[in-house]
Amino acid sequence: MRRPLVPIVLAAMAAAAQAQTASIWDGVYTEAQAARGNAGFADHCARCHGADLGGTGEAPALSGPQFLSDFDGLSLGDLFDRIRTTMPQDDPGGLTRDQYADMLAFLLKANALPSGAKELDRRSEYLKAIGFSAANPHPGR
Amino acid sequence: MRHRLASGVVLTALIGILPAGAQAPNIDWTSYTGDISGSRYKPLDQINASNFGKLEVAWRFKTDNIGNRPEYKLEGTPLEVGGVVYATAGSRRAIIALDAVTGELLWVHGEREGARGAAAPRQLSGRGPAYWSDGKDARILYVTPGYQLIALDAKTGQRIASFGNNGAVDLKADSDQTIKPNLTTGEIGWQSAPTVVGDKVLVGSAFREGFTPTSADNNKGTARAYDVRTGRKVWEFHTIPRKGEPGYETWLKDSAEHTGNTGVWTEMTADPQAGLVYLPVESPTSDFYGGTRPGNNLYGNSLVAVDIDTGKVKWFYQFIHHEIWDYDMSSAPLLMDIMVGGKPIKAVAEPSKMGMLYVFDRLSGKPVWPIQEKKVPKGDVPGEWYAPTQPIPSKPAPYARTGVSENELIDFTPDLHQKALGLVKNYKIGPIYTPPVVSKAGGPFATLGLGPANGGTNWPGGSFNPENHTVYTYACNSCLLAMGLVPPPSGMSDLPFVIGQAGQQVAMINAAGADQGADAPLLRRAAPAAGGGGRRLTVDGLPLIKPPYGTISAINLDTGQIEWQVAHGETPDYVRNHPALKGIAVPRTGQTGFNIGTLLTKDLVIAGDAEVTTTQDHPRGAMLRAYDQKTGKEVGGVLMPAGQSGSPMTYMVNGRQYIIVAVSGGNYSGEYICYTLPNG
Repeated sequence: MRRPLVPIVLAAMAAAAQAQTASIWDGVYTEAQAARGNAGFADHCARCHGADLGGTGEAPALSGPQFLSDFDGLSLGDLFDRIRTTMPQDDPGGLTRDQYADMLAFLLKANALPSGAKELDRRSEYLKAIGFSAANPHPGR
Repeated sequence: MRHRLASGVVLTALIGILPAGAQAPNIDWTSYTGDISGSRYKPLDQINASNFGKLEVAWRFKTDNIGNRPEYKLEGTPLEVGGVVYATAGSRRAIIALDAVTGELLWVHGEREGARGAAAPRQLSGRGPAYWSDGKDARILYVTPGYQLIALDAKTGQRIASFGNNGAVDLKADSDQTIKPNLTTGEIGWQSAPTVVGDKVLVGSAFREGFTPTSADNNKGTARAYDVRTGRKVWEFHTIPRKGEPGYETWLKDSAEHTGNTGVWTEMTADPQAGLVYLPVESPTSDFYGGTRPGNNLYGNSLVAVDIDTGKVKWFYQFIHHEIWDYDMSSAPLLMDIMVGGKPIKAVAEPSKMGMLYVFDRLSGKPVWPIQEKKVPKGDVPGEWYAPTQPIPSKPAPYARTGVSENELIDFTPDLHQKALGLVKNYKIGPIYTPPVVSKAGGPFATLGLGPANGGTNWPGGSFNPENHTVYTYACNSCLLAMGLVPPPSGMSDLPFVIGQAGQQVAMINAAGADQGADAPLLRRAAPAAGGGGRRLTVDGLPLIKPPYGTISAINLDTGQIEWQVAHGETPDYVRNHPALKGIAVPRTGQTGFNIGTLLTKDLVIAGDAEVTTTQDHPRGAMLRAYDQKTGKEVGGVLMPAGQSGSPMTYMVNGRQYIIVAVSGGNYSGEYICYTLPNG
């Protein structure tokens, strides 16, 4: 009965390795993408979450330490799918994946996370390889 | 006039057969609060202080597919009767019946309500169903988002054809008032669990949030009893008296005619022996401006004891005259038998968003300890009518912060405290019942309140142990609300003021869950202008208010003393890891939240954290905690994947004890998790 264990262990290691390939602190979006996302946010999100992302009513703030804490330890793909499948509230999933990716880039920028040379991917599976951590895992970088 | 909803399609699936009859002891949880006295208590001790930390998942039930979209706000407390768990679930608010031992789905019943469901003021899964049985028939009753009372056969999930109109009562149509503007879009609904008393089932009413109502003229609150066998209305209580009814005179300028809201949106309890039902009534239109309804506004913000057979008022007590803080009455009345000064008293205790516990003789309505009318500050909002005094209990002492002073502000470091002082300079602060202000760009932006809208104790209510006569209740101790009033933007409201702040765009604030239920249309609206958001009430990202952010209190009602109080909830990561607090020993802060309900077993108080954290002791998750009822000492914990969003319950089947809790929030969609002890 030992034989089946080997591929299972390897698969688990591969999954763990995938989850560790990048972090939101590594410059995973571009400034141009965040600018597009800013416009999309104003159209679709600001009504509830506030133009300053500070939240209104029961819609939570989308920037600041508490927001970062809420998703700490997950992946950017988890946040992407949470937004994509449930927002905007009156039209969940109603935007394109590109629009959602742009808005996610804007959220990263609004939380003072660094931009880079490559745009955020529109596919959840790829975004799952980007770790979401409230603290910079490589301080000083 | 009864309307069968044209789009009402019954989704019923019958899978499998109910479990075989039990031989070993069974202890059931038959009502939302465990019983109809509001206790949330079962004298079980198989799960106890010595083994709580060893709890394992018996089964879990994800609610994603109960509706056309996942839900992140699962607030239900299931029932368990005879080895079957019944719960509300999903964005559809369907009823699910599960095998209590394995979690297997036995049946599911949902109602497609179309435009009426989409317009419902209170959507999503709701708080739970009710159970009734006469020993032969057994029924499950619940209220849909579109405000229908549905009766189902507990064995099959099929509608009871002889109840109402083929198993449904249209609660909008079968009312003493004509719902405006029509039965489809007319604003009234309910998200709580009905209460079954004998052969009657009690249902309440709820509305949209009252922060930014579109009109001072709204549908009115109501509480009703229905015959559980036939669906016939037995009585209807008008929370706003009609002309000729007592209390009408407390609405000056005939304002009872047009004013609405004043619902009974939380759980009701009953004392069948006394023949009384206890109705906690919320505030009238609107939550923060009452200039359109001068007077004390009975039965707004009152506890009303009505006759179980007639709905006639036996006694009432108004907690807040002319409410303008959105305190409502949030909690199930706790019907307790206590002993004060050697004298037995059949009491009712009412936890509140105000953080005060009000205790009465439940037969006479006489306060057990004096409640004094105290002078309160008068405001200067144009057109507002102010009550000069408000009742303040002399005992017990408040169990949560009741007002805002400089003493309540963050003080981890002198620098943080100074920044907090600078921030509150722009606001009006003061003791409880300091009224809202008209927001000015140069300040004050708003009145800051601790407890308005959120609590204190909100909808989960409290709990009590009938053996030791002690109330155990969670309270948010840091839920800040900025109460600024501004004229509404054109087209928003006919009220002269709604909640908002000068210099900020005024946003329409919907009830939680609005546009999120399974009937809500998946249609694009015209892109709205950007909402304004509020000014943040944080200091460098830390809460403006100092810890403890949330507490659990034990209040002995023989003595009226708070016996202990603990911070509930792990210190949030963003506080524990904040650079400004490096090197400072921060004791557990508890968490800011208002969705936490407590469960009592023989010796334990059980409640989960509201927020997830990641600490040296545990990976990302939220703890379900157990405290010793005598001391408040934490005796064990179990890691959950997300915060508690619905209050826990317990039961025993075939000699084995289980605990179910609803979790959801953040990226984690709704799930009921059932825990039990390991085998052996």
